[in-house]
Amino acid sequence: MILESLSFTKTLYAFDFDGTLSRIVKVPSEAKIGRLTLQLLQQLAGLAPVAVVSGRSLKDLKQRIICRPAYLVGNHGLEGLGVSPGVYSRAQESCDLWKAKLSGVEFGSGVEIEDKEFSLAIHYRLSRNKREVKLRIKEALESLEPLPRLITGKSVVNVLPVGAPHKGLAVLEIAKKLGTRSVLYVGDDDTDEDVFSLPDPGIMTVRVGKKASSQARYYLERQSEINELLKRLIQYHRPQTKPQRQL
Amino acid sequence: MSTHQPERAWFLLLDVWGSIQRFNKESEKRFGLSLVQWCLLRRLIDMPFASAQSLAAEVGVHPSTMTQTIKRLEKKRFVFVGEDPKDSRKKMISITRLGKETLETASKHMRSGMAGWSSFGEDIHQLGEAFQR
Repeated sequence: MILESLSFTKTLYAFDFDGTLSRIVKVPSEAKIGRLTLQLLQQLAGLAPVAVVSGRSLKDLKQRIICRPAYLVGNHGLEGLGVSPGVYSRAQESCDLWKAKLSGVEFGSGVEIEDKEFSLAIHYRLSRNKREVKLRIKEALESLEPLPRLITGKSVVNVLPVGAPHKGLAVLEIAKKLGTRSVLYVGDDDTDEDVFSLPDPGIMTVRVGKKASSQARYYLERQSEINELLKRLIQYHRPQTKPQRQL
Repeated sequence: MSTHQPERAWFLLLDVWGSIQRFNKESEKRFGLSLVQWCLLRRLIDMPFASAQSLAAEVGVHPSTMTQTIKRLEKKRFVFVGEDPKDSRKKMISITRLGKETLETASKHMRSGMAGWSSFGEDIHQLGEAFQR
């Protein structure tokens, strides 16, 4: 019923990509959105404002979301919303310095540094000794100049410029631009906590996978439930077809 | 309001009060919605998952008054009351489809009914001035 009430006002439906719209895979470059999920997302985008807010670069995201929702936002909120050129250049400069410094560090096998132009992601999902590798990554990151903002995720450490926009700011900005009165945001990772922890009572937050320390108010048990959620949202926006069950 | 101002002011006040009461009664009878309930549903439609506290602050009533109004609306199945998953002491209120449809129908009646109140405009202004003297 809470979900249905979202359809009574102008609501923005915003989603993270990895682990939310797509399954988490061992090699991040192989992640893709399922055909049905993409179709449902497209249908929903035809009925209400939809945004995808991801940590991936915007270029990467555009290749994976071939339908065009109202907003595609990359680099945790840095790309896709018209941030001032100064913010981009500062982020790029920091990123170049970090890459140069990290290129000489031996992390061990299974570690991949993803260059997203304005931020870095250090993936260690394929590493055999994740705990040790994570410590080594953190040690290396402590010596970086300028000091980055670090957000750990599922076998990944995101290295972001301090003060750059984050997902929370991005979602608020999209909502403001579109003039929506409420927001439903679905995410799965620590980077999504920037949205989950927003004090705005108009934002309904859903986490994929329950985690006690998360600020998200509601949760889905697993990623595969995203299609069911999308189907219901579509049904609620089409009042002539009654949903079978109430959430 | 030049002569017998206090008396006229009271009569006018009673007239306004009676008019609101009649309107309230009629709305309750026709749509099952009092004026306060109608105002609350109107606010709730743009706050799809509001806590009782935030709703009370938005509408400008005391939280205890809000609790009673919400209970009545829940009984009529115009709102859904659920627990706040983050704090079980708090309640989250959402408008139901029945509530939304009733609100839409009632709003047409409310707007046309309230249009008649514009004639009170000048009188109420004068009434305020009379009471301040």
